[in-house]
Amino acid sequence: MLRGLRTFMVKELKELARDPKILIGMIIVPVVLFPIMGSVMSFAMTTAMEQTVKATLVVVNNDGGEWARMFIQFLQSAGVNVLVEDNVDLEGRVVELISKYNTTQILEIPSGFSRNVTAHLTNPNIKATLRFYSVFRGTSIFEGTGSSIVDTLVSQFNRNIAPDVLYTEKSTIIKGEVKRGLDPSMISGIMAMQSFTMPLVVIILLSSSMQIAATTVASEKEEKTLETLLATPVDRLAILWGKLFSSIIIAAIGAIAYMIGVTYYFGSLTGNITAAVEAAGVSIDLASLGLAMTPLGYLLLGISLFVTIVAALSLAVIVSAFAEDVRSAQSLVGYIYIPIYFPAFALMFIDINTLPLAAKILLYAIPFSHPAIASRAVTMGDYWTAALGIIYVSAFTLIVTYLASRMFATEKILTAKIRFKKAKGSKKQEELY
Amino acid sequence: MSLAIEASDVVKVFGGIRALDGLSFRVKPGEVYGLIGPNGAGKTTALRIVSTLLTPTSGTVKVFGHEVVNEAEEVRKIISYLPEEAGAYKYLSGLEYLEFMAKFYASDGDEAQRMVREAAEISGLGERLRDKTKTYSKGMKRRLLIARALMVKPRLAILDEPTSGLDVIHAFHVREVIKKYAGEHGITVLLSSHNMLEVEHLCSRVALINKGRLVVEGAPQELKGKYESRNLEEVFAKVVKIA
Repeated sequence: MLRGLRTFMVKELKELARDPKILIGMIIVPVVLFPIMGSVMSFAMTTAMEQTVKATLVVVNNDGGEWARMFIQFLQSAGVNVLVEDNVDLEGRVVELISKYNTTQILEIPSGFSRNVTAHLTNPNIKATLRFYSVFRGTSIFEGTGSSIVDTLVSQFNRNIAPDVLYTEKSTIIKGEVKRGLDPSMISGIMAMQSFTMPLVVIILLSSSMQIAATTVASEKEEKTLETLLATPVDRLAILWGKLFSSIIIAAIGAIAYMIGVTYYFGSLTGNITAAVEAAGVSIDLASLGLAMTPLGYLLLGISLFVTIVAALSLAVIVSAFAEDVRSAQSLVGYIYIPIYFPAFALMFIDINTLPLAAKILLYAIPFSHPAIASRAVTMGDYWTAALGIIYVSAFTLIVTYLASRMFATEKILTAKIRFKKAKGSKKQEELY
Repeated sequence: MSLAIEASDVVKVFGGIRALDGLSFRVKPGEVYGLIGPNGAGKTTALRIVSTLLTPTSGTVKVFGHEVVNEAEEVRKIISYLPEEAGAYKYLSGLEYLEFMAKFYASDGDEAQRMVREAAEISGLGERLRDKTKTYSKGMKRRLLIARALMVKPRLAILDEPTSGLDVIHAFHVREVIKKYAGEHGITVLLSSHNMLEVEHLCSRVALINKGRLVVEGAPQELKGKYESRNLEEVFAKVVKIA
């Protein structure tokens, strides 16, 4: 064995185990974050499934024949919560009925259904058509579940009677308009890309810019330049704001570079999907569906991202002011990653409106949730949610920057330290004099 | 004429520890005044309070009549502080660093340039001032920082261990610069040091502090006579033992 290897390894392991950065990266993230992510995903899926199953499926029976009655019975025996309405003319009234029955999905059994099923038994070319209408709200990537469940039920029914006897024509209701021939599961698949983008941007942008801000403050301490600076006639708030604004400029450059990259990446991805979908005979154009972002939407999203970056940077500056050197500043900032990562991952999969009140409040209270919430909201034309989020995050930022200013104005900027251990803290204090 | 520094009964408590315990001293304008004392005596805390970086728990400190807590901004305009082990921004060149610091004191660009030229002369770093400070040796960095502290011609220069960690050549240069500059421009200097030779060479008066209190004060010659010692080192040893 190499001489000194064991001694050296023991020392290395001690140092590594005592470094909070390692603790966060290697232990807390996998042990805490991944199970949380798992629970979040499974909660999101279960909620979506439960909602779909529990939700009332309004079946409009415009046929009245024997096969229609049998199909309705089949749905009921499969546990679907069915509300049957006879002879309702749906032409131009789908949206009205959706709100009247307070549902998100309507299945129409058109007139001639029973006759076509019977005819199919002798001529397989004849098919009986069902018409399925589903509301798309753009809140969760599992929104296509309802459509998938109808598909499953129809194929089960077909297996019992004859292959391909029933055929479903699907329509999606987006922002109160019926888009015929558009499968909601297809649109929710494409929208899922968008719901992943913003949380990812938030994670990468915030964590990298916070490291920059933390480093600029801590390096002043590490390089012992802060003391010199604080004793000059420079306004102390100029030091704080100078650091904050420079970090914002660097973060903004990073944001632009990142957005260009991400837009290209997702653009080519969605482009390919759209092409594939079009090849299958359906045309999906997000802009014509009203799902592409408007200039106002982009503006609100940009502001939301900007105020959140400022909030994160101010928090990083104030936290790193407690650190003695760059390494400890980065470790301290690492703790802020948890409230950034958690809502970002959660909002990739979850419809915030389906959450219990406490969880909803928690997500809204975390300022870093808001760009992801705003991203979905503005896509669906809900500008108020984005605007209120901006106001909330701005208020949070003002409070944090006020606290940071207070800190820079007093001796705390030099003396404040977060003490992990009492003994360690008092030892550090002695070094002051 | 008001005193350069008037510290009266200054107490500073960190947590449960009294770093300064009723320290009082007075420095006259134009004096080079040294604070000497063992590690943990409170020298750096005292210098930081005079520099407005720390606020005293009780007691008052005035710099040329300005109170360091309530008139901190006024005090910062007339002082220049050099912390122990201070650094410069490693990605700036020596010249850029000097320009950056000069702009805080100068009223216009010409005055800032005058300060930088002065600093270039004091530092004696010549062409190396164009290099990034991260390429400087410890001695070169200290010469740059001393030059930075003196270029603004402060009424009071506060120098914490100005030659700490420097080799004989660099330490000699720094001491000569302080002595020459203080004499020529009538700058009052408050410094702390462990180096008794340095203190004897530079200071017109010294104060020996221990456990946050002033134990003895006087001109180096006067103290040597009083304690029948050959040099300040002996005085220091005797006084600390007595205290």
